[in-house]
Amino acid sequence: MQAEDLYDSIRTGLIAMLPRLKRFADLLTGERRSGRALLGRALESMLAGEHRYQRGTALDIWAFAEIYQQWLKELRDHAGQTETDDRSFEPLFPDQSSETFDTFTAKFLSSLPPQQRLTLLLVYGERFDPVEAGQVLDVTSETVGARLVRVTASLADQLAERGPVTAG
Amino acid sequence: MTELSDDLLVAYVDGQLEQKQTSALKRVLAQDDVIARRVGTLKDAHRRLEAAFEAILAGEEADAVAQPVPQAPGLFIARETLIKGGIAAGGIVIAAGLLFAGYGWPLAAPEFAARPAAMETVGSLPADWRKEVARAQSLLSSASLEIGTDSQGNPDFIAFQLGQAIGAKLTPPDLTAQGFRFTRAQILTFDGESLAQLLYLGPSGAPLALYAKKGGNDAAQRVVRHDAITGLAWSEGGVDYFLAGESDEASLRRLAETVGSE
Repeated sequence: MQAEDLYDSIRTGLIAMLPRLKRFADLLTGERRSGRALLGRALESMLAGEHRYQRGTALDIWAFAEIYQQWLKELRDHAGQTETDDRSFEPLFPDQSSETFDTFTAKFLSSLPPQQRLTLLLVYGERFDPVEAGQVLDVTSETVGARLVRVTASLADQLAERGPVTAG
Repeated sequence: MTELSDDLLVAYVDGQLEQKQTSALKRVLAQDDVIARRVGTLKDAHRRLEAAFEAILAGEEADAVAQPVPQAPGLFIARETLIKGGIAAGGIVIAAGLLFAGYGWPLAAPEFAARPAAMETVGSLPADWRKEVARAQSLLSSASLEIGTDSQGNPDFIAFQLGQAIGAKLTPPDLTAQGFRFTRAQILTFDGESLAQLLYLGPSGAPLALYAKKGGNDAAQRVVRHDAITGLAWSEGGVDYFLAGESDEASLRRLAETVGSE
């Protein structure tokens, strides 16, 4: 494949993944506006540095890792804060006003540190295995596994404390 | 009461245990109410998390459909992992990749307009039919020719060939009651993995395609649209399905019920 074709392929592949990339960036920052801004900068960086993409690497793993690295870089450069506000987080869900909206889980996700939120997303949302999720977040698969257990068990504890309420 | 760690129980809930471990744990669950309740709560947590991520993605996709941006060209890089998440839930990568290609270049969208200089370097180009064909060609392999035209009327043979190819049981669903006549099947290749394509002719003369590929956990139905094509993606019984055609969503859902029941 010629370099131009590879560039086109990366670009088209990223387009195909755009909804997933948006979800990743939004959950990383905890709100839509900053998530979109981060994604825009990360996409620019990816295209400017498409030579960093190694053939044979899963494009989605590469793209998610690039967004995450961009976020880390900006966090270091600007000593940014990572706390998430429920009011900014809940609009990530399309139907907050509907009866099916799970406020409890939304608040739980909002309360998590970004790295833990992304670990859940990559495994339960993207269905990556722990090794792949670890590649994105630059941690070992054991760390991914430990985070999954800790966070899932924490949600289960809170659900158990809350009792058998089915809605909301 | 049996003492079992959350590590083990979460692995069980996530389907990560070996068959023997799963069987052993099921025996424990049948005898220990405390452990069974804990597993039930972990399953509830797991389900809620999956549903939450699914809901967010559905919102993003709805936005993308509502706010299309200029079309971009290029060969789509096939990625196995696109199956896992992108079409979340599963579906079949290729068709979805082709469908989503219509979203256009993201930096052209208003929400990414913070750096207009960058947009000029990545502007859209006219579509090239040869690239579209090349993209489709990449799905073909020698396996695509293994089910000959003379075998297309033999459902048992087709089921056997497809099952062998994708590594999961797959019998061509009978959709005649819904007005769709099975016409042929072939095996495509995506990212080194086999992908079954079953083609049906509908009452209006428009084709309907069912794609199936060995998949992972069950996942709910999701709608994917591109131009006149509507697709429905879901995972069931270890198989990722993608049903696509010029049908409306309600019709596809009815057809999917038939596919799932066979």
